[in-house]
Amino acid sequence: MRDPDSRAGNKLIRLPRWLTSEHPFPWLFPASAMLIVFGLYPVLYSLWLSMFKRNPATRIETFRPSWNWSKVFADDRVIDAVSVTLTYTFIALTIQLVLGLGIALLLDSDRKGFGLLRSLMILPLVVPPAVTGMMFLLMYDGSFGVISHMLYGLGLLSPSTPILAGGTSALWGVIIADVWQWTPFMVLIMLAGLRALPKDPFEAAAIDGATDMQAFFRLTLPMMSKIIALAVLIRGIDLFRIYDYIKVMTDSGPGTATETLTAYAGTIYFKNADFPYASTVALFTLILVVIIANLFIKIFKVRF
Amino acid sequence: MHDSTLKLTLRYLVSILIVGIFVFPIAWWGLTSVKPISAVFDKDRIVVFDFEPTLENYRVTVLGYSKRGSKEDGKTLMGTSGNNSYDGRSSIVSSVIVAVGSTLITTIFALLASYGLSRMRFWGSQGYLNWILSQRFLPPVAIIVPLVFIFHDMGLRDTHAGLIIAHTLINIPIAVLLLKSFMDDIPIDIDQAAMIDGATRFQCFWMVILPMVKGGLAATAVLCFVFSWTEFLLSLFLTSSIRTIPVKITTYVTSTGSEWGYISALGTSAILPSFIFILLVQRHLVRGLTMGAIKD
Repeated sequence: MRDPDSRAGNKLIRLPRWLTSEHPFPWLFPASAMLIVFGLYPVLYSLWLSMFKRNPATRIETFRPSWNWSKVFADDRVIDAVSVTLTYTFIALTIQLVLGLGIALLLDSDRKGFGLLRSLMILPLVVPPAVTGMMFLLMYDGSFGVISHMLYGLGLLSPSTPILAGGTSALWGVIIADVWQWTPFMVLIMLAGLRALPKDPFEAAAIDGATDMQAFFRLTLPMMSKIIALAVLIRGIDLFRIYDYIKVMTDSGPGTATETLTAYAGTIYFKNADFPYASTVALFTLILVVIIANLFIKIFKVRF
Repeated sequence: MHDSTLKLTLRYLVSILIVGIFVFPIAWWGLTSVKPISAVFDKDRIVVFDFEPTLENYRVTVLGYSKRGSKEDGKTLMGTSGNNSYDGRSSIVSSVIVAVGSTLITTIFALLASYGLSRMRFWGSQGYLNWILSQRFLPPVAIIVPLVFIFHDMGLRDTHAGLIIAHTLINIPIAVLLLKSFMDDIPIDIDQAAMIDGATRFQCFWMVILPMVKGGLAATAVLCFVFSWTEFLLSLFLTSSIRTIPVKITTYVTSTGSEWGYISALGTSAILPSFIFILLVQRHLVRGLTMGAIKD
């Protein structure tokens, strides 16, 4: 190797230091440029767009900064959408967490066969959510769907009211699809957490005569709390911005019974072509996500 | 733990039952894809195994043959669209181009950024990381309206390049955080040793760190591929004639009825490649899904 000075001397032009690989700038530039141009700029553009009032008849947009924002807070459909979104997020998250933890405890074994079962458990995660929606659409079908027929057989459903036709049952129908797809996510994370637990406290507890139940609530849960909080945060944010299942399975119906905030923003975009109001509702969703996520991070002290 | 035989048998049974429930929808979907139309649309009973298996649905959607017998008695078949509207070949090609393209760009950009973040101390690096993380949680719907306008002005609307950019945008935060966590596992002494021997930063990255982070890179690439492969919202808004598989499948649902045979055939074909890829990097999956926060 030659010494640094002769190496630099061979170059025709000496680059300024911030353009050389010794400086973080060139390393971070491509990814940052991408995120700024196609991530940050659109958010600001959205904000700008939300300050215009669109006249649906003339399609003329006039600058009225507070028009859409006061509309958001007075719009009953927004209030309904917030309540549907929160209900959806809360129910799905609770089921996924409880099932995820339960299944992880069940599958956390080194015995023969459990490795295969754990691998099979990943399968739902790779299905495109739009395809998941279609899968459940087929199984829910009132005349030839397999789930519907099972429920008819059990007397829990009558052929006159298909699953996705009733308001409450439609929401449950979508939640079940979500639970099917994302419980494996929880299972994987909980399994990783269980595997990382130290053995000693459990042996000590067993010697002291603790039952399995006591060991679970006094040792497993507290030691897993960090991982559980992290999983709840990631999943919760993704649930809050749910779009694919709603769009494919119910298209916000029946009526607006399953209309979440993102679905409502999509509807305004596609059906009313009111782009300023669509961006306002979308930004409103973003603001809610940021507030809720930050509260959660503060309260549960989540760290990445 | 010393479980009794009864307890162990019970555990096996419950585990198999639960995993079975989770595998069932996919198995059912695969079964539907090889059923003839009459078995799918049987209103009186659920046809499970007693049918003549057929690959007709795959012939039409994946290989692009026209619907069998459509010339003679086209009116008796369900669906009103032309013969070729169920041809999924172009959507498969589009999905592959977009997923491979965005995976390549994402991993290159993320490799550079994660090296900088992992190896260099600079003012604002923690804030920068938080910003990247917040991008991961940005609801796509919050940027979709302006993105449509921007793409329109730049001539990127309805192009493969546009969709590659959009998917890269979604994947970069995950890839950067994940690769950074893999690089953080490599002791910094190794870089210092290489640089004392006269390597530049770039040589150190290219010849020392990159070979050491291969496993993590593969996991990152697979996750990016799968996220792009399964993405729906951006593809729906940003394209009209180019269709990725998830968007294409939803167009098979028409007002006159859904072609479940074709839907399930294309759907099954879409699931297979991602499942195989994911199994290859199963070891790093948890780390990937939590963006490096949980190390497995």
